[in-house]
Amino acid sequence: MDTDQLIAHSRRRFDHAAAKRLLREKYQARLTFGYNGGMWRATPEMITFLSLYGDQEVVVPDLYDTPVKFQAKVMRDLMQARWQEQMTAWLIELEQLEQQR
Amino acid sequence: MTRGALIFAFNNETTDYVSLAAWSAGNIRRHLGIPVAVVTDQSDASGFDKVIVTQTAAQNRRYFPDYDQAVTWHNMNRVTAYELTPWDHTLVLDADYVVASDQLAQLFDVRSDFLAHRWAKDVSDCNDFRGLNWFGQHRMPQWWATVMLFKKSRTASMIFDCMNMIRDHWQHYRDLYCISKSTYRNDYALSIALMTVNGHVPYDGEIPWQLMSVMPQHGLTQTAKDQYRLDFTDTQNRAKWITLADQDFHAMGKRDLGVIVGNPS
Repeated sequence: MDTDQLIAHSRRRFDHAAAKRLLREKYQARLTFGYNGGMWRATPEMITFLSLYGDQEVVVPDLYDTPVKFQAKVMRDLMQARWQEQMTAWLIELEQLEQQR
Repeated sequence: MTRGALIFAFNNETTDYVSLAAWSAGNIRRHLGIPVAVVTDQSDASGFDKVIVTQTAAQNRRYFPDYDQAVTWHNMNRVTAYELTPWDHTLVLDADYVVASDQLAQLFDVRSDFLAHRWAKDVSDCNDFRGLNWFGQHRMPQWWATVMLFKKSRTASMIFDCMNMIRDHWQHYRDLYCISKSTYRNDYALSIALMTVNGHVPYDGEIPWQLMSVMPQHGLTQTAKDQYRLDFTDTQNRAKWITLADQDFHAMGKRDLGVIVGNPS
């Protein structure tokens, strides 16, 4: 085994993991938004959950565990748009990062 | 309800905080679309929507690694943010906080009377902030006064009144919380105030992402609009760099930020 190669590879992986982690932090923050007095994070689970309620009003606790009432469809559209936008941006940045390495 | 940002800027022998704040005001208007007021002792400060002239309170000294010397640190006025702000809903930012995205705009839609960062992180991942996210011998949770959002409200008023009291009786609170360093810090005053006002149970008005921090010993340059390069050496002394694009951060070193502000992209 070429230990120098192994060390170089291991270091590259370490740096890559750190850069990936930083990107993750950035986009986790970008998925967060304020609506109707509450603070929310767009997640696939929440989007699916809101889909169940169609046009109805729904009460959901926000990130601070405060229940907030809103139109499920309005929130779902907001979350879905944010999710799509931020995931696409994340993918683009990640691809750029892969190319750099 | 009026919304705006508030920056405290008092120059010292090494850093032109007013210039940092004016540069930051441009970023804030561009990304967050809100006016910016500055609290300073310079009546001719320009680049702001409002200039609030006040005298510096008693001063501290603090060692800054990027200058490799202890410099004057005018940090005692921050507790007056509540009484000085011209806005109903105020975003208080350090002059060295770099706004490079619209992320903070999300906070204005939240019902909470007071928000701040509970967790900070070194963006380079070289320094473990676990120690800095707690303070004192009893390991009290530390809140960061770098970014604070508050509404004119009873809760926010009490938080700032309490910070005032802590600042004025710093030695007492230092003894009470067994804080080894003698220098007064707004982060400590805020942390103690939040705990006190909230009935000595953990406060839940946390900004739901980490305060990204650039360490003073790391090199910071601007490569394009809202894009920065961070140069640092890792724990094994190897040179590394990363790019921060459209990412807000707290530039803990003032020297490099001063150069960026002097030569903006």
